[in-house]
Amino acid sequence: MASARTVDERAHELLIEHQQTLYRQTDRLFAGLMLAQFAFGIGIALLFSPAAWEGKVSTINMHVYVALFLGGLISGLPILLAWKRPGAPITRYVIAIAQMSWSALLIHLSGGRIETHFHVFGSLAFLAFYRDWKVLVPATIVVAADHFIRQQFWPESVFGILNPEWWRFLEHAFWVVFEDIVLVMACLVGVREMENVSRSRAEVEALSDSEKEKSKALNAALVELKATQEAQVRTEKLAAVGQLAASVSHELRNPLAAVRNANTYITRRFKDGKEISGDAKIGQFLGLIDREVNVCTKIISDLLDFARERPLMLTPCPLHALTEEAIELLPAHQVLIRNQIPVDLPVPSLDKDQIRQILVNLVQNAVEAMPKQVIVDAEGGGDRSWQLIVADDGPGIPTDATAKIFEPLFTTKTKGTGLGLAIVSAVVKRHGGAIRVETAVGKGTKFIVELPPGGKQLTATEAL
Amino acid sequence: MTSGSSTKKVLVVDDEAGLRMTIGANLELEGFEIVEAESGEQALELITAQPFDLVLSDIRMPGMNGVELFRKIRALRPDMPVVLMTAFALEGLVQDALREGAFAVLPKPFEIDHLVRALSSAARSPIVLVVDDLEQVAEATAAALTAMGVRAKAVFDGENAIAAARTGEVDVCVVDMIMPGLTGPEVIERIRALDPHIVFIAVSGHDVREMFRRASLSVESFLRKPVDPADLIHAIAKGRGRVAK
Repeated sequence: MASARTVDERAHELLIEHQQTLYRQTDRLFAGLMLAQFAFGIGIALLFSPAAWEGKVSTINMHVYVALFLGGLISGLPILLAWKRPGAPITRYVIAIAQMSWSALLIHLSGGRIETHFHVFGSLAFLAFYRDWKVLVPATIVVAADHFIRQQFWPESVFGILNPEWWRFLEHAFWVVFEDIVLVMACLVGVREMENVSRSRAEVEALSDSEKEKSKALNAALVELKATQEAQVRTEKLAAVGQLAASVSHELRNPLAAVRNANTYITRRFKDGKEISGDAKIGQFLGLIDREVNVCTKIISDLLDFARERPLMLTPCPLHALTEEAIELLPAHQVLIRNQIPVDLPVPSLDKDQIRQILVNLVQNAVEAMPKQVIVDAEGGGDRSWQLIVADDGPGIPTDATAKIFEPLFTTKTKGTGLGLAIVSAVVKRHGGAIRVETAVGKGTKFIVELPPGGKQLTATEAL
Repeated sequence: MTSGSSTKKVLVVDDEAGLRMTIGANLELEGFEIVEAESGEQALELITAQPFDLVLSDIRMPGMNGVELFRKIRALRPDMPVVLMTAFALEGLVQDALREGAFAVLPKPFEIDHLVRALSSAARSPIVLVVDDLEQVAEATAAALTAMGVRAKAVFDGENAIAAARTGEVDVCVVDMIMPGLTGPEVIERIRALDPHIVFIAVSGHDVREMFRRASLSVESFLRKPVDPADLIHAIAKGRGRVAK
């Protein structure tokens, strides 16, 4: 925020600027006026003054010369100053003196005509254009001095008569002072107005400056916030990667340890030189190595499935047949799985591999809950959305766990990467669908996958 | 107990059939007699029905976990050495088991040779030697270890410690660093020359770490006096699990 001091300073600066402009303009105005008065004075001298006073005899030359030389002198200096030093205080004081001198000269040339005295009042009013009451001071002094001196020596040149009453100059002075008072007040009011305008402008400037400052600060804050958020997201991602790595490496550890132990055994049996043909364990362990390596492969491909975002490849997907395939892919188990999907159900358009994968994951989860039976069902077709249901009558999921089951790395099993349902959830989202779970402890669990009619495809970013 | 006979009978408990079978087969090759159990519950049934020299159990299992099994065994057969295996080295369960006197915890994965050495050692029921010139401290420490199911013997100077190590029964030495006569580092140097497999735990009221850095000797753990018996027992089990290299 700009301080009050700077607002004051700026207001003052603006006032000076404004006044300078006004002074220069008025200087130019008077320069023109000086020229006009010069011409006018010569004209008057030629036409009126010989007959105006000093008898009826034509002594024209004298007054024309006065008008020419005195007028030239009076007008010359202010015009020069207005040209060379516009706006300077000396210029307007000289102009004030010259202007009032013109009044005197014109009164003189017009032979003291009372109407010519109006030039004095007009000139004072013109000088007030400067909005600088100080110029009225030399102007008034000139008027007063002129009246006083001429009353003493050439009274008829001021008042038109030879012997005016002694107080006549006071009467004139009164009207001049009266006008001065009015004009000084007008000047002061004018300056105050200019001050107010300048202050308002300075305040507006300061305000817009402070607005700019504020929006700059806001921008900076936003940039910083964004950076912080990105850093946080990065940190969270790293933490998730760390968790994932820990979880996966632990899952790999047991099968790899078994493979290593089996290999150690076989190697020793071959090295100890004893008969090995009767050792059933060798064949058994070779089979075990194969199985455990497959387990490792499965863990790795689960991880890849989770990490990879392959675009959907939509093909007609007969759900009954796909479920049969999924059931065959399951490891050995003792649970009855009933595929209740009608064989004649309309065929949705889905990504076959991914939907088979979610069926395997959901059914395997259900089987691992050790229920009596697992039921797979589906409905939909036409304009209706597809519903794929995997239900078991197992122990159910505790309520505190249901909120987290679709999150990666969350698992309730002693052995598990916590990726199964996260993969299911990602695949369903990628298809533009939704998954929900209904569970009751002791009664069973039902996963319901809802897919849009026809199988709407989303972009990869929408799916995550 | 069949500790007198040459063949040691080991109960291997792991829910992972692959691991259980391969460990068992390898131990049989090494001359152990193996019985397998796929759960803690099954292991307990077997232990109540027949004698074993020692038990090797996984910690993370569905149902009864390895540490719970260890506690039940401790109640049934206080002298039976139990060796645990885990992939989660920092688990709270592991710390508890160690403090309560499990013989050793083997971090997975491990070499079969490593396992064989740990089991052989466990089957011998080796002795923890407590060496301290303050007789009361040595006796009290040994008594605390014995009370928690760890065989221990107290000696009060370096010469006696070396003599005890010569019997071959000792696998861990808890050595006070500052003693009259032979100092702690000297005792460690002499005993290590006799048997490189012995694990040393250094104990002192001073900054023993710095002392060892200067003597450029390596020991399993450093403990500051007064020593909490639970910390000591933890250090012993950790050392036993690691030393079988």
